[in-house]
Amino acid sequence: MNDWQPYVDDLLKRRTPCGGFSGQPGGRHRPDAAAWAVLALRALGAIPEPGPVLDRLAQGQLRDGRVPIDPDYPQAFWPTSEAILAWNGSAAHASNQTRAVDFLLRTSGVHYRLDKDAVVEHDTTIRGWPWIEKTHSWVEPTAMALLALECAGQAGHARAEEARRMLLNRQLESGGWNYGNTKVYCVELRPSMESTGLALHALAGHVSAKDVQKSLDYLETEVSGTRGPLWLGWSVLALSAWGRRPAGIGAWIMESLERQSVYGSYDTAWMGALLLAARCENGLHAKEAS
Amino acid sequence: MTSNPFIDLLKRLMARFALRGSSGAITDMGLHRVFNGEAWQTQTFIAKADSYEQDLAAVVSSGMAQLGVTRAEVEGKTILLKPNLVETSSVKSACINTHPRVMYAAVVAFQRLGAARVLIGEGAGHRRDSMILLEQSGLVDVLKETGAAFVDLNYAEVTAVPNAGRISRLKRFMLPRVVREADWVVSMAKLKTHHWAGVTLAMKNLYGVVPGAYYGWPKNVLHHVGLQQSIYDVAATVNAHFAIVDGIIGMEGDGPILGEAKPAGVLVMGRNLPAVDATCSRVMGIDPVWIPYLAASPYFLGPIHEDEIEQRGERIDAVKTEFRLLEHIHVHRYLMGRRRTKTAAGGKETYGMFTY
Repeated sequence: MNDWQPYVDDLLKRRTPCGGFSGQPGGRHRPDAAAWAVLALRALGAIPEPGPVLDRLAQGQLRDGRVPIDPDYPQAFWPTSEAILAWNGSAAHASNQTRAVDFLLRTSGVHYRLDKDAVVEHDTTIRGWPWIEKTHSWVEPTAMALLALECAGQAGHARAEEARRMLLNRQLESGGWNYGNTKVYCVELRPSMESTGLALHALAGHVSAKDVQKSLDYLETEVSGTRGPLWLGWSVLALSAWGRRPAGIGAWIMESLERQSVYGSYDTAWMGALLLAARCENGLHAKEAS
Repeated sequence: MTSNPFIDLLKRLMARFALRGSSGAITDMGLHRVFNGEAWQTQTFIAKADSYEQDLAAVVSSGMAQLGVTRAEVEGKTILLKPNLVETSSVKSACINTHPRVMYAAVVAFQRLGAARVLIGEGAGHRRDSMILLEQSGLVDVLKETGAAFVDLNYAEVTAVPNAGRISRLKRFMLPRVVREADWVVSMAKLKTHHWAGVTLAMKNLYGVVPGAYYGWPKNVLHHVGLQQSIYDVAATVNAHFAIVDGIIGMEGDGPILGEAKPAGVLVMGRNLPAVDATCSRVMGIDPVWIPYLAASPYFLGPIHEDEIEQRGERIDAVKTEFRLLEHIHVHRYLMGRRRTKTAAGGKETYGMFTY
């Protein structure tokens, strides 16, 4: 048994009777939870047969390729990217992955030209991906879509290149990213580590370090002091992808996991991010996660 | 709702008109009283509280008693407290978020009345990692001290609920089951100015009830269908039972995140959210009729007119303190203009031929 085994066991208890995973023990299947669970368990060698989970993800895929959070609410299609990552390397789900990728490539957020008296300052015409259909593109779903396209061999697609431009445009002048507004009424908003981690990870290998130096500095400065599961997980994954994996992260991740005794059990997607951060020394690349 | 569908339709049209920001005057002319057949009657309670160090549980308990909240209403019930944790900061949380001592006070007050379970639920608008929010806001200490459990509403399991407000184009809301199943939903808001909405109080705080997994971060769907309209619709659909607004230290200027601390020294409480928000607005020196979602509220949701809100505890005049607005923020500029007009008229408002 290794140090992570209790948390692996915890994740495995979240399997649903229908073959998927829930966000919390005893809950209903949620596609993003299933995707992160299978990614983390595969990385840890703890799920010898992920097929049923991937099948359950495929059952939730709609005809147009999207994988919504809930079949009764198809406009929330952001888990499509997570499903693409989970299906990667599974020959039985290659067509599901292809349809999901095609969906992403023909979908974007709502984009428009700013009025002259606009109070936000980012370039609203550069396309990325939204959380929810028919809304603006934001940082995290765009970064996640880029990670998904990369693992599916579409990193060079024009939409991926445009999305990387979008992320760079949304980078805060002082470093880091937040959900996706840079300035409102001329005042720069604050960064968050999860948005920054996701954006940096998505840009790793595609932009130079000097383009994102302040953001890397921000994460490197803050990472040792944070134990929030998403903040820590995505910071470590991003720094690892940039070859700057910090020393001592195993203990930080363990501390974060242990805090569930106070906060209550973490969402499966957060557990997944933390366990992947513990395992993936070069970031969330398909080779390691599969 | 009335028994007359034609009257309801007319009221809804008037509410929509008010929500376009075009007609506080009509809202305040008393037409809602004509439509409803009688005036609204509700109470709000204002307590002076200069510090988070004082016995706020006693203050909250006293306010609840003044508002007629009885043990029989609470005993054995599940209470869901909804704080404002939209975003936190390691250095400014005291003026961004509902203060943990106010949360502690509310948990204890409901526990003293025999609540079976007190939950604290939030679906933060800007950040997904709710553990960070709990730590930076200090709310984690409240969980440890009281045994209250935290529920992340952004990822909670949902149920579809028809849009009770029917002002925006949304037909339904996907609301967390835990919210629908709670016996009491309590909006635990912060007294703040807001650079899009004008003010953020008990009604706007309910934005955090709708889950990010279905509406995005920062609640993109709600912004797209209209901020004022969706504040109204969410409040109508969630139909919270009680509100406690933390104005001990509020926020003025570029709220809800980047403004400055404004010590207002009050807690404002009540069972009717538009009435609570109207009272809070007056404390801030902002007439509620200038805020479209409040101007629309009297037709269905609750009163904003002073003579329909029985004030208990402190008088508004005794605690009123103008919150600073900023000329370069569009909605603030509008509110500042209305403030100047009202001041020039000796405290009276004039809309065309109407003065009140």
